[in-house]
Amino acid sequence: MAVMQGETTRIVLAGKEPSGRSKLPRTSGGWLALAGKVVVGLIFLVAALFPLAWMVIAGFKSKTEVVSTPFQFFPEVWRWQNYAQILADPTFTRTMLWTFLGAVLFTVLSLTVNSLAAYAFARLNFRFQRTLWVAVITTMFIPGMTILLTSFIVVTRLSMLDTLAVLVIPGAASAGAVFFIRQFYLNIPASLEEAAMLDGCGRFQIFWRIFLPLSKPPFVVMGITAFLAYWNSYVWPIMTITTPERFVVQQYLATFRSERSTELGLLMAGSVLAAAPVVILFLIFQRQIIGNIKMAGLK
Amino acid sequence: MTTAERGVRRQQRQRHDRYRYRDTKLALLMLAPVLILLGIFVIWPAFYAGFLSFQDWSFYKEPVFVGFKNFTDVLSDPLFIATIGRGFVFVLMTVPPMLVLAYLFSSLVVAVSRRFASILKVSIYVPTIISGVITSIIFVLIYDYSGGLLNAFLGAFGIDPIAWIGDPAWALLAIAIPAVWLGMGLTSLIMVAAMVDIPTEYYEAAAMEGAGWWQKTFYITIPQMKNVFLYLLVTGFVAAIQQFELPLVMTGGGPLDSTTLPNLFIFNHFRNDINVGYSIAAALLLFVVLGSVSALVFKFVNSERLVD
Repeated sequence: MAVMQGETTRIVLAGKEPSGRSKLPRTSGGWLALAGKVVVGLIFLVAALFPLAWMVIAGFKSKTEVVSTPFQFFPEVWRWQNYAQILADPTFTRTMLWTFLGAVLFTVLSLTVNSLAAYAFARLNFRFQRTLWVAVITTMFIPGMTILLTSFIVVTRLSMLDTLAVLVIPGAASAGAVFFIRQFYLNIPASLEEAAMLDGCGRFQIFWRIFLPLSKPPFVVMGITAFLAYWNSYVWPIMTITTPERFVVQQYLATFRSERSTELGLLMAGSVLAAAPVVILFLIFQRQIIGNIKMAGLK
Repeated sequence: MTTAERGVRRQQRQRHDRYRYRDTKLALLMLAPVLILLGIFVIWPAFYAGFLSFQDWSFYKEPVFVGFKNFTDVLSDPLFIATIGRGFVFVLMTVPPMLVLAYLFSSLVVAVSRRFASILKVSIYVPTIISGVITSIIFVLIYDYSGGLLNAFLGAFGIDPIAWIGDPAWALLAIAIPAVWLGMGLTSLIMVAAMVDIPTEYYEAAAMEGAGWWQKTFYITIPQMKNVFLYLLVTGFVAAIQQFELPLVMTGGGPLDSTTLPNLFIFNHFRNDINVGYSIAAALLLFVVLGSVSALVFKFVNSERLVD
């Protein structure tokens, strides 16, 4: 499926307009149109990437240069020591590691529980199937704000406050992920399992031996979604984590900004390092993520 | 019907049910983790919120039933009504520009070489993965009044510095810009996917009839994409009216409440107001409206209507 979609995309893209290199425009109007496209494209590129580029450059500035009159875009001296200094701060490195560990645990837990449920809904025949499906899907439409306070009360009563568990467990089950993985499982041909059943495989073994090994595409997309959600989360942590040693990275940055507001170069270096893992993750898997947007948004 | 017949019927049905529901035990086992987690952390809190919205309750006393008082309090609170109005202004500042820019972007992507198209698609999506906190930090420093990049840039054209997030007249716009920056990626790529899906034959036929670019746009592209526009409009609306992380970090809702969007209003009440029922009632009202809007969109998207 995915491969075929990729093919049509390519054909359509190639069919609409010959690529610039193989057929250069012959008329001056053609050249003008090409130049126009390049200019508009560059404007989009700059708008998307400029704030990040500015953050990286500001990460090399001294504390007075990030905001300064008169304004200077580039630093006087490129201060690599900003990075050395923030990495030498044990609180920062511990926060990064702690958040990374939490994000990995969260991703694994979320893929495990959601794929089990997705398989049950896609393939098993059981009582209350429809009722349970409706119940699970309904949770997708409950805005976070509506249950923010009451789930805070729940985790307080469960004495989960200020632990890693309060960050990892409550958000792990996600109706959206169940839905997404189930869609993928529904498209796996039944003939695969029938062969396995003839060989005496049980239903769970079919999930374990056939479905899981085939699950890479939805797992990549949902795994990255989960990792990003954990890494970028801010509101839930500020409500539930109060000990500074256990802060997650977004909390650390926000606190740094309010408490050490003059050390802007250092703050920007820290922001660069905090954004780096997710940017790298995205660049590695960009093909799968972008290819799946169609599937995720509109089937 | 004799007793014997009825017995046979029942047996048949039982056998049928046993076959039909043959996996019940395994299914419940596999569903248990998700059902338990959703039950404890989503479904129970939702019912609990429904219960508390009819109570006068704070952390220090027993709940007392007060009927619809919390709801009438919320709806008659001019401050809350003002945040709703502000939410709509924010939606107008973010969603239409995002749709127009995304349309322009996708027209560009389908018209350039494959390599340039994929560079554009990857770049436009990068901001999507940046956290609200980091985005806020970057933009607050760019907006800095005396030493920020934006005022320095405008100064080069002789424009006087503007207190972007310090002036109530500009603050909401100053938050809308990073919101668009964060949201552009997904909107654009959904639009690109929809535009790529329009059959090329339509354009070829139109070209043979001598249609120009404008005619192709108005008679083929836009009509073919109207469902996607609708989808993006509604999901964009739901997302924008719920935005509160950016104002929370960038301005805290100020100056003079000019960036207190509905969810930030509720969140600040959670933290400062001991009358919990009031905040929950406000949150529930939002839920009823937004939850039904998104459920409708979900139903619409999953029917086949988007395809034809």
